[in-house]
Parts: sequence; structure tokens; C-alpha cells
Amino acid sequence: MEYGRKWMDKLSVEQVKIELLHTAYGNSDIFFAKLDPRTLFIWYSYFGITPWFLHNEYILLGMLLFMLVTTYFAKISPLIMLILSLGLLGQGGSLLIIALFFGGNWATLMPLFILTVKLMVISLASITVFCSMNPTQLSNGLLKIGVPGQVSFSIAYGYRMLPTLVEEYHHVFQSFRLRGKAPEKRGFLYIRTISYFVKLAVMSFYPLLLSTAKRARTTVEALETKGSMYGFNHPEVKKLKLKTLKMKKRDYLFLIASFLYVVLLFVYFY
Amino acid sequence: MQPIIELRNVTYQYPGANTPVLRDVNLTIEKGDFVAILGGNGSGKSTMCKLFNGLIPHYYVGDLSGKVTVNSRSTLDHKVSDFSKTVGYVYQDFENQIVSPRVLEDASFAPLHFGLPDFEERGIRALEVVGLLEHRDEFVWQLSGGQKHLLALASILSLNPDIIIIDEPSAQLDPQHAREIYKLLQKLNKEEGKTIIVIEHHTEFVAEFANTVILMNQGSIEFKLPVVKALNEIELLEQHQIFPPQVTQAAAKCFPHKEQLPITIRESLDLFERGGQMEEEVSSPGPEREVIVQYDKVCYSYQTITKKKKRVLHDINLTINEGDYIALVGNNGAGKSTLMRLLTGLIKQEIGNVFLGGKDIRKTTPEKLAERITYIYQNPEQMFIDDSVEKDIGFYLRARKHPQTEKIVNQLVEQFHLKELKKRDSRLLSGGQQRRASLAIGMGMNPQIMLLDEPTANLDISTRKQVSRLLAQLKSQLKAVVIATHDMQLACEFANRIIVMHEGRIIHDGDKYSVYANQWLLKKAGLYPPQIFTLSKELEWKHPVFSVEEFVQQYERREVSYGVWT
Repeated sequence: MEYGRKWMDKLSVEQVKIELLHTAYGNSDIFFAKLDPRTLFIWYSYFGITPWFLHNEYILLGMLLFMLVTTYFAKISPLIMLILSLGLLGQGGSLLIIALFFGGNWATLMPLFILTVKLMVISLASITVFCSMNPTQLSNGLLKIGVPGQVSFSIAYGYRMLPTLVEEYHHVFQSFRLRGKAPEKRGFLYIRTISYFVKLAVMSFYPLLLSTAKRARTTVEALETKGSMYGFNHPEVKKLKLKTLKMKKRDYLFLIASFLYVVLLFVYFY
Repeated sequence: MQPIIELRNVTYQYPGANTPVLRDVNLTIEKGDFVAILGGNGSGKSTMCKLFNGLIPHYYVGDLSGKVTVNSRSTLDHKVSDFSKTVGYVYQDFENQIVSPRVLEDASFAPLHFGLPDFEERGIRALEVVGLLEHRDEFVWQLSGGQKHLLALASILSLNPDIIIIDEPSAQLDPQHAREIYKLLQKLNKEEGKTIIVIEHHTEFVAEFANTVILMNQGSIEFKLPVVKALNEIELLEQHQIFPPQVTQAAAKCFPHKEQLPITIRESLDLFERGGQMEEEVSSPGPEREVIVQYDKVCYSYQTITKKKKRVLHDINLTINEGDYIALVGNNGAGKSTLMRLLTGLIKQEIGNVFLGGKDIRKTTPEKLAERITYIYQNPEQMFIDDSVEKDIGFYLRARKHPQTEKIVNQLVEQFHLKELKKRDSRLLSGGQQRRASLAIGMGMNPQIMLLDEPTANLDISTRKQVSRLLAQLKSQLKAVVIATHDMQLACEFANRIIVMHEGRIIHDGDKYSVYANQWLLKKAGLYPPQIFTLSKELEWKHPVFSVEEFVQQYERREVSYGVWT
């Protein structure tokens, strides 16, 4: 029980908020954060897509190794890794059980294994790229490759609002706790306690939506007076905004190194 | 002086509304003036300010007639973005006007989006003016409330507008930060010739800083007068639920036939005679009382985004007894809310123990603690979890299947004057109504102890008085009350014990007399006593007073006794 409580303390809404913010903004000192967003887009467009078309397990494993290294250097938060592994294990595991149930045999294991490796490569590549760019970099990068200003701005703004929203959610959640009644008995396997919290977690969204809608009015007016509409319609503003984006030596080096590694994989195992 | 804003026969009606919010307004504001707009809720103050920057008619459609000229340009013929460089507007809910994650990014957002190549220098310069330059690389959510307000101001200053409009700065900020903002506005007004327009309820700030006062009533201009004349219109102001500075109120009562009353302490010193106050008895402390809550060497830290721990409470020792009505005062960030929230069980101390009725509260769930202690949030909206006032008040009782839920809810609805509102969604009520609803929700939990976080913040003065009255009524129903507040008038009227906090420590635990006798304490904790207290002190009274009534009473008694002697 003592253990359970400790675990609950760790998994508080507050903790989730800190992890999210840390993932979004907290790692500006890692290598990937210093790259130009375009480099990361190019890199991702290879490692995020090609694994689907590869069936050679050695090449896939080689890529996975590379991804593990990049993920390690991107200093991804443990929470994200936990969610990812739960997802992968859950999916692979359930597919395996279903396959066995419907008359498959252990030979199904191999294709499932390949699928899982593919998924891992893609997920780790996504995590590396999107967790190392902070939202401003991401939004500027998208703007540079021709995504409309409104879209790229929404991403940066969404992140700006994230902590406020989580905080608001947290307050509402706590209000529910302070006025509600927790079940007297925990139930088998904590089932009552868990269902109580799940119910609160869902119900807390409803008040949140309403109060957010109210806030948005000031924001929209402020954006109007701060010239965001003007900015979206004038190309010179875009130029001004992206002045600082530059491909540097380390961008090219990183791309070349990745390319060489992939070539090596193919030459060796194909 | 040259006019910078001119309104000619302006009438405006929001789309979907039945009556106009502005009726036939004629107004001229001169360049370089410092204008305060007074008026009750719903008198059209904010709407009028939205005319000045073109949001009406370009952003809000609706029926507009008449002519609005700003900086000799008609708002009809120019776009909102054309006026942004002339008019800057800091909203009442300024947090929502900050759109970028980092401080400097937000300060230079507007010049960047208007395509000005020196956007970054402009942002830096604006941050320098408001004194936020050292925070330039921080995230906006790391800033305190006062700093966020300064950032919102910096973000409009970066376009170097001629006119700056600020909506109710003193309602949102603690008195010290409000004063800082006003000083800054005064500097911008005097040194750079900016035209300043503030919407303000707090007449003491108006008296000290503004030159011209506009009083609005139901969409029309009641008057536009120089500040001294305006604040002397005591009856007219009070009709509109606006209270002149305390010194003016006192002077009006002591010298009913005087033509021009003082509006600041300095002016009133010439009017009132010094010294000679009668002796007052000071009540002695009552008998020993039951201990309800005890904090024993409590420390609390939270984790920041960089995963470092930040300690906000240091070694707190505190006992709350039955019959304690405590005001917890001190600047924002002094740890007042944290101290109270520890009692709810929602956050847990890092070191030390908190006992409620002798039991360690760490061993009790928040749901159980809530049956004895109620916490009223600073922002009432965070307490609204159901879809009507009535249901919100009954939520706690229903969760516990209380047999008399309906009866109790009806009583509370009555007590907090919510009868007409009980079917409405709490989130759509006005600020004062929301506050009353949140108090009713708290009392619906039938607590022994009530903790209130800034119960009078964001309220206009008349609503504030109403809430103070309600709080005074609650005393008899509760064993103890703790109020965290910046409102020193409330603290003096309500509390029998005042605890001063500063940077996570309790630096004083006494009553209003001991707090205000201590100059060092006031300065350190950023506390401003009620104006009438300062006046009585300046008049060298032995026992300074805390309310206008007390002042008038004592001043008159003194005159009587003078008469006897001479």
C-alpha cells in the first residue's frame, strides 16, 4: 500500500505537466536542438517512411540501433519512453495472442517481430525529432517549408497555452476531489479507487472547455492588435522571422553521417 | 492642448444586444493627458476603450453611429493594425494577451508581425522600460502575476504607441505592483508625453496619479473634470457606487461646508488639526482556546520545469486556535496560498508535520479533510464543476447523499443572495456574483474551518464591501477562518490576528495594531495601510484608526473636548 501511494504521488497531474514542458522546452542544450529544423525534417522524412518498405531484418535492426543512439542523445523524458514501450508491447503482445488464438503458431512470431521493429524505428525517429525541437523551432521550420503562417503559429501558441490548460485542469480536478467523496473501500485490485479517479479525470474536461472558450476572446483580440493578421499576409514579415534560420556545418555533417550509415547498412546486408 | 481622441455623437450597440452600450457620447481627450475613467460595472468603460483602437467597428460589428477620430484619423477608414502603432491596450485579463512562450519573443511579437526590421531592439527597449530585461529569456509561465502585467505592457510599448490604455490595474495586482505600474505610467506620461487612459475603481490611485477624470454611467458620460473637482463630487460618485479617497470622505464628514476637500494625504494635513486625540482602551487577549491546527517545522518545495526544486515555505511553526480569524498578508509569492493549501491535503509538505485536531493530516485523504476544512480558490471559476449555481452548491452534499440537501441548498441560496441566479451556469456570472457563489459552495460543505484565497480580488469597491459583510456574517458559523489577502481594509475589519509572510517565512504574528506600528515590517512585506490610518498617524494621533467612521468619531470627540477646555 505504501508503495502504491508513492507511485500515485509520482504520477500526479503536476508531474505530467512538468514532464510535458520539459519535453517541449527543457532540452535546448542537446545536439539535435542546435540543428536547423529543415535538417531534422529531411532526416525524419527518410527514417519515418522507409522502414515501411524494408523487409530485411538486419537493415531494420541496424536502423533501430541508430535510433536508439539518437534517442539516448536526445535525452527523452522517461514518461514518454514509458508510454511508448507500453504501446509497443501492448500492440505486439495483443497481436501475438490473437494470432495464437486463431490457429497461428510460433512462426507468426517472426513477422510480428519485424513489424514491431519497424514501428520502433519510426516511433523513435519521431520522438528524437519532435522532442528535440522546441515549438518555436518547429513552427519556424514549418513556415520555412511553406506551411501557412496560421498553422505554424497555432503550434507555437498551443504550446504556450499548454501549461495554463494543464494547470486549469488540475484545479478543476482538485475541486472535484475536495467536494466529492472517495469510495470507502478500495475494492478488488483497487478497482473502486481507480474507477473513481478515472471518472474524475474525464469529468474535469467539461468545465475546462468552457473556461478556455472564455479566455480565447481576449487572446484573439490581442492577436488582431498585435498585427498577426498583417504578418500572415505580408511575405516580408516571414522573411524577417526566418532570418535566423541557417543551415550550418553541423547540419550537413549530421545528414552526411546518417546517409553514410544507411549506405553501409545496405551494402553490408543486402 | 491638442486633442488626440475625439468622439462625436457616438452610439454603439453590440450585435444581438437589445440596448446600446454607448449612448450619444461626445468626448475629447487631449494629447499628453492622464485620464482615469470611473463607472460601475456595465457602464460602457471597456467598450469605449475598444472604440479607441478600432476593434469596434472592425472586429466587432454591431450598430455604430457617430464619428471616432484618433490621432486625426477616422477609425472607420483605417484598419485595426493601423491603430496598433498609435493605441496600446492592456486588458483586465492581461494573461490571455501574452501569446508567445518566452518573454522577449512576446515583447517583440507586435513589431515583428508588422514587419519592422528592428523588432528585437524594440522588444529589448520595451523590456528595459518596464524593468523586465533580466527576465528576457525566461518562459512566460515562470513570471509572477505582476511581472506578467509588466510584460503585457512591454508588448504594447514595443510599438511605441502615443496612447496607452490600461484596464483596471489595481484590481488584478497587489497594491505594491499596482503602485509600480502607476509610477511607470506617470513616467511615460511626464517624460515621453504619452497619453494615458486607465479604467480604475480605486480612487486613491486616481487622486495620486490622474489629471482628468471621466465618470460614465449606463453608456453616457456623466462628467469630465479635472481630478480635484471630480473627486469632490462626493454625492454624485457615491450614487454610482464609487467611493472617493478615505481622506476625502473623512473631510466631507468633519467639514461639511468646506468647498474644496482634500484628495490626498498631503492636502488633508493642512485641513485637519494635529494631535490631541482622546485615549482609547485596547482590549486584552481572551482566555486560552482550543488548538485546531498546528504546523510543526514545515517546509515545502515544488519542482520547476528545469526539474530543480524550489523551496517556497521555510520552517513554518504556527498554531491556529478556535476563534482565530486570521488575515494572512504579504506580497505575491510570499507563500500564503501554499501555507493554506497544505491543509487541504492536495499538496504535501516536504519536511515537518501538520496536525488537524491532533491528527497528522498526511494520513488523511483530501476528500476526508474537506469535510472539516474548506478551501475557497482565488479564481472562483476553478470551483465551478457543475452546470448551475444550485447544483454546484449541492455537489458536496449530494456526493454524500445528505438527506436534507435541498433544504440546506435553499438556505445558502438565500443567505448569499443567489435566488435569481440559481439556475444559471456559474461561469457566466459577473465577478461579484461568482464570488458569492463560491462562498456558498464553501459553506455548503459545512466546514469547521474556512480558508479563503484573495476573496476580494478582482472586485469593484461596492462588491468588495458586500463580500466583506458576508464574510463577517460567517464568523459565527465557523470555528476559525484564514484569509489570504492584499486588501488591508478587509484585513483590518475582519481579522483578530494578522500574520505577515515574506519569502516563505512568517515574519510577524500579531494584530493590526502591532503590524501597523512596525514601519520596517510594512516596508519589507510591501503592505500599504488604509489611507485613513496613515492620515491619523501623520496627524500624530496616539492610537491611529482604521476606518473613516472611527476617524470622524474621534475627530469630533476631540473637538468637543477642546471646546470644554478653552
